[in-house]
Amino acid sequence: MAEPRSPVSASVPHTPMVLPTPEGPTLEMDPMEYTLRKRLPRKLPKRRNDVYVNMKTDFKAQLARCQKLLDAHREICIHGLGLAINRAINIALQLQTSSQGALQLAANTSTVELIDDLEPEDPDEAGEPLTRTRNNSAIHIKVFYPNP
Amino acid sequence: MELSAGRDARLSVPGQTTNVSASSPLLKQTHAGGFKKVCRIEEESTCPFPGLPAGVLEMRVKEGSKIRNLMGFAMTRMQDEARDGGQTGLRQVVFSGSGRAVTKTITCAEIMKRKIGGLHQMTKLQYKGLREVWESQEGGDSEVTVHRTLPSISILLSKDPLDPLEPGYQPPENSLWDERNRGEASQTAEKRSVDSSETLTEPQAKRICL
Repeated sequence: MAEPRSPVSASVPHTPMVLPTPEGPTLEMDPMEYTLRKRLPRKLPKRRNDVYVNMKTDFKAQLARCQKLLDAHREICIHGLGLAINRAINIALQLQTSSQGALQLAANTSTVELIDDLEPEDPDEAGEPLTRTRNNSAIHIKVFYPNP
Repeated sequence: MELSAGRDARLSVPGQTTNVSASSPLLKQTHAGGFKKVCRIEEESTCPFPGLPAGVLEMRVKEGSKIRNLMGFAMTRMQDEARDGGQTGLRQVVFSGSGRAVTKTITCAEIMKRKIGGLHQMTKLQYKGLREVWESQEGGDSEVTVHRTLPSISILLSKDPLDPLEPGYQPPENSLWDERNRGEASQTAEKRSVDSSETLTEPQAKRICL
């Protein structure tokens, strides 16, 4: 019990029958224990009329922001990644509905590569920081007043 | 009147469109009154791709659909044709989904684009009507019909070229969407006018000038 976790004691069990008690330490020595840190998505271009939708900001605030930009620029681009795809579509469709059909939508989809960092819980352990990549879907909706 | 608390009269009237969004106070009231959802009818929406030949494979993606099942089926159908080499085979597929299935729908289309190269894509967004019938649980047999609208997406993937001037068109292999867009933003005005006269007959031209 007194012995803290150390890789040596784990790899060399002297008498396996004597160690039934400390369940906690053995679990903690699991080399698979990492903290998952999600990096921010790759930096994307940002023009004045680009809107990146997220799930943290209030929906109405984002809708109002889009409406305001649309009045100034006549054309905006709404981007949504992952869960925010739904919100991006919702904003675009609501803008279109409130314009009484004057606005047109042009949606494009893409795949965005995301990187996760796996950092070992205990820096003394042999575990090395790992990175893992995964893909997520994204949508880009151009909302614009068509040229007559 | 946004809610019809009568009998199921509303069910048979297709022209009536009473819209209650999910966040409206009326819907919350129905929750508080001990109502139970009896049924859910999706309204027939217009096909977002006019002029699509009959017999195109439509994959309806639902919230609980497994991507491996959807892709397993769709990929076999799309690749069968390549082996036979006939013009009669499957050249187009539509993925459609609404509400919480939208993300999954896009993911399916993205996977297919990656596995089968050279696919032209057309994406359309629209609202889809949904009718829910709620039944009171407090003894009375009153029913309430609620209209909701769900955002939905339809993605057409085609081996044959599609109209590049139609909003929502994406040429094959444009993973660099942002670059394309940046270039387009500066030249949209003149490029559009040139393209419209020339590329209508030859859709490939647009692809090359990108």
